[in-house]
Amino acid sequence: MNTLYLEIAVVVLGIILLMVESYSASANKARLAWIGAIGLFGVLLLSFIPQHAPAPGSPAAAFITSDLLSVFFVRLILAATIVFLLTVPSFFPALRISLPAEREGGGLGEFAILPIFVCAGLMWMVSAVDFIMIFVSLELATITLYILATYLRQNTASLESGTKFLILGALSTGFIVYGISWLFGTTGTTNLLALPSAIAALPEAAVTPLLFGIGMILVALSFKISAFPFQFWVPDVYQGAPTPVTSYLSVASKAAGFVVLIRLLGALWAIPAVSHQIHAVITLLAALTLIFGNFAAIPQTNMKRLLGYSSVAHAGYLLMAVASLSSKMAVPAIGFYFAGYLAMTMLSFVVLQVVSEATGGDEISRFNGLGRRSPLLAGAMLLAAASLAGIPFTAGFIGKLLVFEVALKQGHYGLVALGCVTVAAGFYYYFKVIRAMYWQQPAEETSIAVPGALRFLIAVLGAAIIAFGVYPAPILAALR
Amino acid sequence: MEHSLDPYASLLIHIVSGVGFALTTWVGSLLLGRVGRATGVKNVPYECGMLPEPGPQPRFSVKFYLVAMLFILFDIEIVFLYPWSVVYREYLQQYGVEILGVLATFTAILFAGYLYAIRKGALDWSK
Repeated sequence: MNTLYLEIAVVVLGIILLMVESYSASANKARLAWIGAIGLFGVLLLSFIPQHAPAPGSPAAAFITSDLLSVFFVRLILAATIVFLLTVPSFFPALRISLPAEREGGGLGEFAILPIFVCAGLMWMVSAVDFIMIFVSLELATITLYILATYLRQNTASLESGTKFLILGALSTGFIVYGISWLFGTTGTTNLLALPSAIAALPEAAVTPLLFGIGMILVALSFKISAFPFQFWVPDVYQGAPTPVTSYLSVASKAAGFVVLIRLLGALWAIPAVSHQIHAVITLLAALTLIFGNFAAIPQTNMKRLLGYSSVAHAGYLLMAVASLSSKMAVPAIGFYFAGYLAMTMLSFVVLQVVSEATGGDEISRFNGLGRRSPLLAGAMLLAAASLAGIPFTAGFIGKLLVFEVALKQGHYGLVALGCVTVAAGFYYYFKVIRAMYWQQPAEETSIAVPGALRFLIAVLGAAIIAFGVYPAPILAALR
Repeated sequence: MEHSLDPYASLLIHIVSGVGFALTTWVGSLLLGRVGRATGVKNVPYECGMLPEPGPQPRFSVKFYLVAMLFILFDIEIVFLYPWSVVYREYLQQYGVEILGVLATFTAILFAGYLYAIRKGALDWSK
């Protein structure tokens, strides 16, 4: 078994659901989301069968691998997609308003099926060891995400979000293809495994064009992981996209971008000719992303924009670990950070989805008095915000601790000092939400009903935040 | 290194002559063409002496956009089948069955898309 079969299973599931959606007479589109979630859960279980990389020399081995990193992130992406699919049926009322449909339920089914194809694309992306494969899977995922971001067609914010995402996504695609062509032009290979030896054999004069190519690829990846100065699409796209899509964008798509970054840098880290410059660039990116993400989040009044800037800030902490990639603990730290990040970010988006459905808006003021209107939602948001800020006994705390520890051991004292300042800034803006929920007067006193599937998700994600925060060993063991 | 750039010399000549031709005609028309007075009537496209009707950018049905997109999906992707049989001839000896499987999968995925397009009425002209 290698991860290729998991990805094929996901694609087959998506195609079957697409056929069922178009040829069955049933107007019950929620069923598709449940079947999709159950199917992906089956694939997630299959991933626990020991995975071996494809046999060396076989055609598959030139494109994908099944190492610890890829298996871990395949599971993470599957989990994120399952969460997405479970939130879809309760998002249908909001979809119906902004979706012109000729038939009853038209266009709803695809909202539950497209994420499955994104999932397959991202799974391939985290398993890929060849730039051609990385590029194709990246496109499968992002083109599908463009559709999902624009899904609320009669809502101008969603259209704006999709258009910006499409244009800037196309720009970053241009950067990555251009970078790959320079990389191929200088080294003669697109394979990441063959890259180190190909670079070692290069003459001195070829290093500059090589660095140019790597720089272009780094720009494109910075778009994907929303690192400063390529983060400007994040707040607008996050604000306009449907809430489940925003949540998915900030977790799964970013995770896949980070895995590609880790693989690329892992191939280049040991090469003295290029590692010095790349190291400096990543350190600078980490510092700028930390500063920008955290300080730009402070004045935000819209919850989705706040979470958008928060996702930029978390990219900064993750880049801190990427800058310390020579440490053996860096990759486990990133993996753990993402596991916690998935739970806390998706939990806050689930709460946001219910609150904006009930109150009709995404502003932080809509959370006013949530503690009285729905103790469950307020408690879940409290837990998520505490974890995002990094309070002890939550996954966010352990994640930040691991990242800081790795960075300290690699001598990034400046980054760690900066990280401490930005964590303090983080406390301020996450606690703004908590203050609104518990210390502000609600606009109305009616209680907010939470659909069953979302109540289940809140319980699971909340439990995960605390479980990872108290007992992080199993996750770290999965990557060591 | 010098020799490796030789194939690109013709490309360079192509670019230079292309840009040069455009520039020459443009500058030439600017220098020589400004004889007499320009009037609104003179700027109208020549249509056998009649006023052109309708305007130069007619509105057309948005259906064409869907057809164009489906054309790209089905026609252009089928073009990929050709290099598989022509370029990978050595691979065909070794991995013939696997390549056939890949081809069949590719076509099957396209066919699923075709079925979806039919069912959703994308090919229905009367709608």
